Amino acid sequence: MKVRKFTALLLVLVMVLALCACGSGTEQSSEPSTQPTQQGSSSGTEQSGGDNEQSGGDSEQQGDTGSELAGTYDITVWVPEAAVELTKTQIGNFNSSNEYGITINATVEPVSEADAANNMITDVAAGGDIFFFAQDQLSRMIQAGAVGKLGQGAAQTVSANNDAGTVMAATAGGDIYAYPLTSDNGYFMYYDKSVITDESHLGSMEALIADCEAAGKLFSFQLDDNAWYLASFFFGAGCHNEWTYAEDGTTIEKIDDDFNSPNGIIACKGLKKLLSSPAYNNSSDVSAFANGSAIVVSGTWGYKDALDILGDNLGAAELPSFEVDGQSYHLGSYSGCKLLGVKPQEDAKTGAALNQLALYLTGKDCQMERFQETTWGPSNLEAQADPSVSTPALVAYAAQSAYAVPQPVIPGGWWEFAQVIAIDVKNAADETGYQAALDKYQQSLDALMG
Amino acid sequence: MKNEKRHMGLKATNRLSNTAIYILLVVISVVWLLPFVFILLQSFRVESTWQVGYVIPQQWGFDNYIRLWNSDFKRWYLNTLIIALFSAVLVTVIQLCMSYTLSRFRFKMRGPLMRFMLILGMFPGMLTMIILYRVLADLGLTQANAVPGLILVGVASSGMGYYVSKGFFDTIPKSLDEAARVDGATRFQVLYKIILPLAKPIVIYTILTAFMGPWGDFVFARYVAMGTSAGYNVAVGMYSWLTNDQINSWYTTFCAGGVMVALPVTILFLCLQKYYVEGVTGGAVKG
Repeated sequence: MKVRKFTALLLVLVMVLALCACGSGTEQSSEPSTQPTQQGSSSGTEQSGGDNEQSGGDSEQQGDTGSELAGTYDITVWVPEAAVELTKTQIGNFNSSNEYGITINATVEPVSEADAANNMITDVAAGGDIFFFAQDQLSRMIQAGAVGKLGQGAAQTVSANNDAGTVMAATAGGDIYAYPLTSDNGYFMYYDKSVITDESHLGSMEALIADCEAAGKLFSFQLDDNAWYLASFFFGAGCHNEWTYAEDGTTIEKIDDDFNSPNGIIACKGLKKLLSSPAYNNSSDVSAFANGSAIVVSGTWGYKDALDILGDNLGAAELPSFEVDGQSYHLGSYSGCKLLGVKPQEDAKTGAALNQLALYLTGKDCQMERFQETTWGPSNLEAQADPSVSTPALVAYAAQSAYAVPQPVIPGGWWEFAQVIAIDVKNAADETGYQAALDKYQQSLDALMG
Repeated sequence: MKNEKRHMGLKATNRLSNTAIYILLVVISVVWLLPFVFILLQSFRVESTWQVGYVIPQQWGFDNYIRLWNSDFKRWYLNTLIIALFSAVLVTVIQLCMSYTLSRFRFKMRGPLMRFMLILGMFPGMLTMIILYRVLADLGLTQANAVPGLILVGVASSGMGYYVSKGFFDTIPKSLDEAARVDGATRFQVLYKIILPLAKPIVIYTILTAFMGPWGDFVFARYVAMGTSAGYNVAVGMYSWLTNDQINSWYTTFCAGGVMVALPVTILFLCLQKYYVEGVTGGAVKG
């Protein structure tokens, strides 16, 4: 009896302790997030907005404000592996060329732009001061307080110099939060010229499938488990998927989505054509070329590797059209970009100096250098117009962008339940099956809205 | 005649069933071994660095290992080795002392303490990650200093893993202790000179598991190192080669890394296999 009582007491104690641990854990993890947001939004908006304007105004009256920024700053910079050396050089160039007397002492760490949000959210205080990230992480970054609103001066520079799509991607609730870095994050089609010999087939998915089947080659398109690629068919059929957020940038106000519609059925029919072909292969990795694929739907990041594998036989083109009931639909896609984020700084002066560095790193020259080094497509308008900035991949990306939808901020849950459509369509026999798949999708979507 | 025929039939049946069993075993071991052979072969492939559709390399060479040596891998490997070795030593010492204490000493809180640890052990370790991270961050043991941080975390809770070795110690007759005590041995001498030599399998088992834990750690190690290459262990570091713009230039090097990671553990296991099996089952005799 005594023992039992004691055990019960102990259990209660442990549970309470565990709860406390959880409590303080979340408190802790939200602490750094509220801290910078405060800085970024309430008291800090004016503060950081203030310096940014100040530094924006610097270009006009460089003299005394310039000397105010002079000093040495120790920061951490997170960039993807491929850009580490280049970024070190670029920061060195910034140190020697900037007119404010800013010296940046940077530790450059390789952190993939896909992981930036996960890492930042872990501990904003210990995270990188400047980091590259993929645009779909913006809302999480804002929520965690890992980025703050740009001041007016910086915001103007950013929106004037970069293409509209990337500026939109860096914007939430009407304010710009990050600096566009590239504009090439979408997908199109790489193909093997030795298999797809007739260029007129490039426009038709059916002809391409037939070519692949005839040559015993594969058509790689990662539809089975990736809604990012799957959405291609739905956008092609004219469906929409738009998200409106409240002022805070994270609460969903409205979802404008018609995947579950007659157009959605058309998309499913097109999807089924590819999924049921023996040539279909679920991959978006260009190494699929080394494994029997003649077509791989992928993005600019795969260009160098694809070129290594196929050499002169590599071709790149916009996505083809599929045909349903005698009508042709051009496959859509997402277009997106990489952004550079600056962590809100406790010290206003550091914030202003980092703002200058961020503008430099996302400026024309640095984007050009990055293109030459890594073939990342620039977001800067002048750099885009430069004739040297052109690879077959970027040309194909640009051609596809006429059919592309700028990727909005989409909650993680959507990707999970939207990707299921592909499997459902694969298993469905006819239109009723497609409708069932779309109904299931609609249910999950409604549930997301609550 | 009839009987003899039946006898032959029995023999034939035996042979048949043996053949079937061996075929099955061969199939199973091939399935089991193939991935390892595959990784080994890929690590020697030098004609390309991405995934390919064939297994036997067209050109053989050590390029991937040389590349590995010239990359950050060296540091990650060293980090992992330091963490694993420190953990192996400290965890073993703490765990064996704990087991000895709980097996041989009788004190008031012994029962409650054991029950308390049993209950604590029921909570999944993942739950503690956030708070542990905060503690480590406040101590300055994250990111570049992740190595001492991970050792600390690994060692701090090690006392709770006393079950198996305590079970084993319980099977060693207490009269041995008493005899030693009568002859004037201290408690420590009893542990060191009497119990441990008898419990060799369990000691080796403890060392092995203590070494293996941090050797393969990923989730917490990644959390603690948080984007600082200097604090990565091998698993976290090699994971950074798997992004979609890196994988095709690092794939074969990744395989080489896998081989390097598997090597010490494999050697260790081959040498200590005999004790390992004894250790796992030894503790189960009496709980």
